Amino acid sequence: MAVIEVTDLRKRYADLTVLDGVSFSVEEGEIFGILGPNGTGKTTTVESVEGLRRPDSGLIRVLGLDPVQDGPKVRELIGVQLQQTQLPENLKVWEALDLYASFYAKPRDWRELLEEWGLADKRNARFGKLSGGQKQRLFIALALVGNPRVAFLDELTTGLDPQARRATWELIKQVRASGVTVVLVSHFMDEVEELCDRVAVFNHGKVVAIDSPAGLVGGEHQMRFTLMAGDMVGLEGLPGVTGVSREGDRVVVSGRGDFATAVTAHLARHQVLVSDLRLDRRTLEDAFTALTGRSFG
Amino acid sequence: MMKLAIVETKLLTREPGALFSLLIPLFILVVFGSSIEPGDTVLLPMALAIAVGLVSLYLLPTTLATYRERGILRRLSTTPVRPGNLLAVQLLLQLVLAVTACGLLMAVAGTVLGAHLPSRVLSGVLVFLVGTASMFAIGLLIAALAPNGRAANGIGVLLYFPMAYLAGLIQPMQQMPDIVAAIGEYTPLGAFGQSLRDVWAGSAPSPLLMGVMAAYALVISIAAAKFFRWE
Repeated sequence: MAVIEVTDLRKRYADLTVLDGVSFSVEEGEIFGILGPNGTGKTTTVESVEGLRRPDSGLIRVLGLDPVQDGPKVRELIGVQLQQTQLPENLKVWEALDLYASFYAKPRDWRELLEEWGLADKRNARFGKLSGGQKQRLFIALALVGNPRVAFLDELTTGLDPQARRATWELIKQVRASGVTVVLVSHFMDEVEELCDRVAVFNHGKVVAIDSPAGLVGGEHQMRFTLMAGDMVGLEGLPGVTGVSREGDRVVVSGRGDFATAVTAHLARHQVLVSDLRLDRRTLEDAFTALTGRSFG
Repeated sequence: MMKLAIVETKLLTREPGALFSLLIPLFILVVFGSSIEPGDTVLLPMALAIAVGLVSLYLLPTTLATYRERGILRRLSTTPVRPGNLLAVQLLLQLVLAVTACGLLMAVAGTVLGAHLPSRVLSGVLVFLVGTASMFAIGLLIAALAPNGRAANGIGVLLYFPMAYLAGLIQPMQQMPDIVAAIGEYTPLGAFGQSLRDVWAGSAPSPLLMGVMAAYALVISIAAAKFFRWE
C-alpha cells in the first residue's frame, strides 16, 4: 500500500522553477530516500508533503489524506525532523519530549525514547548544553514521540562523527522494523546506500530516477588484468559477462552481477596466469553523476 | 496547551531578561524613592511606565523573534498544535510578567516608600490595560519585522530610549522644550505615562489619550499581524 503519493508537483518562485512535475510514491514500511544536490527541490517537495508549503499544482496524498485540507489529521500521523531548527536554549531534554508528547492524541512513552536514543543520562540537561550528536538524537526522538506512521528525517546525520552516524543508522533500521515508514532526505551516498530500500534522485526540480540503490548502481562493472601466461578462451560465454576486449596483453571484461567470480574461476580452471587484476565497481556516486550530469557535493 | 503554558513559564523564569524587567524599575524606584515626599504622585507612575516599556520593547519582541529564528514556530507547524498557540501563550505570559512587575512596584512604593496609591482603582486598571496593549502592539510589530532575535533586541533598545525620553521618563516633562513635551504626550508611552499621572493625581484619565492609546494598539497590532512571518 502506498503511504505517500505525489503526482506532478509543480512550484515556481518568480522566474525560478523549483518543482517541475515531481511524482513518486512511498510504500508502507520502507525507508524511502530523497537524494540530490542542494537547490533541486528536495526540501520543497518534502515540506509540501508535510503540509508546510503549498505547491502551485499537483496532487499529494499522505495515508490517503490531503496535507493542506486534512492538515490536522495528517499532522497527527506524521513525525518530522527539520533541518536547521533549534529548541529554546534553556529547555531541558525531558521537558522537550514531555511537551511534544502532549501535542499528540496517542503519543509514545517518551521515557522509552529517552532510553532508545541514549539520552537517559541527559534527561535533565538543557538543550543549549547538548553536543551536536545529542541534539540530533533528541530531534529524531521528537519526530517519533507522536507515534507516527510516517517519519520525515531531513539530513539526519549532518554534524555527527562516523561512529555516531553508524549508531544512528542502526536505530533508523529499528524504526523501520517497528513498522514506521521513513522518508529520508540526504546528500550522503553511503547513508542512502546503507539505509534506503528505494531512492528518488532529484535534479533541477525533477525526479530523474527511482530505484533501489543496487538498481541505481546497476549497469556494468569492469574487470581489468594483464595476461601473463596461458590462452584465454570462452570468457564471453560466462554468466553475467557482457563483453571482452583485448589490446595486446591488457584485457578488459565487462559484466553484471557476480560475473567476477565466474571469470576468476574460469581463468584458474584453464590455468591462465594474470597479473594487475583490478575490479572497477560502479558506485552510487557514479550512478548519480551519470544521471544528473554533475558530480556530487 | 496547558503543558505549553507550563513549559513557557519555566523558560521565562530561566530567562535573565525577565528578572531584569522586574528589577530595573524597582531599582529606579528605590534609588529615587529615598528622596520623595510621602504621598508622591509622580515617581510610581514613572516606574510603572518603565516596567511596561521594558517588557513590551525588550522581552516580548526578542523572545518571539528568537522563536522564529530558531525554527521553533516552524517545527511546531508540523505538529497537531498550531504555532499561534505559542504566540498566545507568550503574550499572556508577558502580560503576567508586566502585571507582576507593576504589582511589585506598587507594593514596595506603597509600603516602604509611602508613595501615593490612587483611589480610582478601575481607572488605573483601565489605563494599565489600554497602555500595555499599545506597547505590546509595538513589541509585536518589532517581532514581526526583525529578521532575528538579536535584531529585535537592537530595535527594542533603539526605540526604548527615544520613547522613554518623549514620555518624560528620562527628564521631567516640565524641563523639556514645550513642543517636544506636546508631541511626547501623544506617543504610546507618553500617553500611558500621562494617563497614569492623571489617575495618581486623582482625576479621570483624559478620554483623548485613552483613545490615542487604543488607536495605537489597534493599528499597530493589525500591522504586526500583516507583517508577521512564521519562518
